Amino acid sequence: MFGVGGATLREALAELREQGIVETRRGRSGGTFVVNQPRTQTDNIRDWFLATSISEIRDIGDEHAAVAAAIIRLACERAEAHDVDRLEELARALVLATSPEVRALADSRFHIELAVSAQSPRLARAEIRLQEETVQQLWTPLAVVFDPEPATAEHLELVRAVAQDQPAKAGHLVLEHIRRNIFHLIDTKLALGYARSNQDAHE
Amino acid sequence: MNETVQAANAITPWFNGVATEIKELSQNVATVLERSLVGKFKVSKAALVGLDGLSREFLTKNSFAVGAGTFFAADSVEEGGLPPEWWSRNPSGAIGRLKFDLTPGSDRFYDYEKLPFFSTAASTGEQTVWGPYIDYLGTEEYVLTFSAPFYVHGNFMGVAGCDIRLRDLEPLIMPNLRLIQSHAALINASNRVILGNSGMYLVGERIKSESPNQHRLALDVPHLGLSLIYTPRS
Repeated sequence: MFGVGGATLREALAELREQGIVETRRGRSGGTFVVNQPRTQTDNIRDWFLATSISEIRDIGDEHAAVAAAIIRLACERAEAHDVDRLEELARALVLATSPEVRALADSRFHIELAVSAQSPRLARAEIRLQEETVQQLWTPLAVVFDPEPATAEHLELVRAVAQDQPAKAGHLVLEHIRRNIFHLIDTKLALGYARSNQDAHE
Repeated sequence: MNETVQAANAITPWFNGVATEIKELSQNVATVLERSLVGKFKVSKAALVGLDGLSREFLTKNSFAVGAGTFFAADSVEEGGLPPEWWSRNPSGAIGRLKFDLTPGSDRFYDYEKLPFFSTAASTGEQTVWGPYIDYLGTEEYVLTFSAPFYVHGNFMGVAGCDIRLRDLEPLIMPNLRLIQSHAALINASNRVILGNSGMYLVGERIKSESPNQHRLALDVPHLGLSLIYTPRS
């Protein structure tokens, strides 16, 4: 059916059943029926904001700042020309991206490859985990749209500092960069979770 | 610095041995493809029969390598592309095929043609070694990749190579570095430490300045750019 094998189809239906999107009824008029709309990525992100407190968002930022500061210091020491070229290309990909999904992808890829250039598998794993935890939240347009241009400019500045081996400058830049991301997440949390019905409409 | 020469003499044949194995692998890959590509210029899936055997043989013979196989140049394969024929040893020792995401723009796209183990071999036409590096989206390991380009009817078709994890390389090379009393390290062509015999030279770090006490001895391994550096302990 539909050009797919029976086993694949059954597997897909089982998954949809588990998510409550379809129901299978037995009997004469039985069969598999759609009973719910699938949840979108935006629904999931909205739920994340509603379920996550500002103290937790700040704490994610604290951890990310610690990891990013270590990564950028090591990247300054250890990155070579190949890494710098690659990072520059990845930084530009963010401003060229045409949808929030692709921006999220470009942003996280940049930070992960920065970690890769630092040569520490453990820090790279930490960065991958932190990106998975927050990058969709950052770029999914919910309350306030996040602007890719300043983010790209900051990425390019970071690459320049790495290329010139300026760890102090790079460290300062990366902390500011993460602080700005966290402020955006907190702004979104405030708007979604604690809307002031009148003022927010006029702000 | 007799001991450094002695260490170099011990390490050099090991790397030349790896280079010879890779050269042979790339020639065997070319032979398989030549046979199956009679009259055709682009590699198709059907032309790959036998490559898995070459990788398995390589890994069985060379226990130092965690993975081995072939990456194709995008221009050399039929439209739609072909996945790399890359085989790796899992922790239990079983050999299995490694899968890569080759869809441009996807979140796990493995853009191997831009990685130096591929691009350097492609542009120089010679063997090369890249690393230490974190092979993000590839093997996800901290590795050195040895590679050699291969050609069919004079056309560049791709590279064959192997991965060696840094943790597996260390016990093989360290005894030789320990022969050296000085702080000493094996470094790659971009002055990155592959392995050091003390905390002074740590794997992955780059040697940026040549201090007056620091000496260098190039290893006689063609095209790989390997050297030993050493600084007498004060």
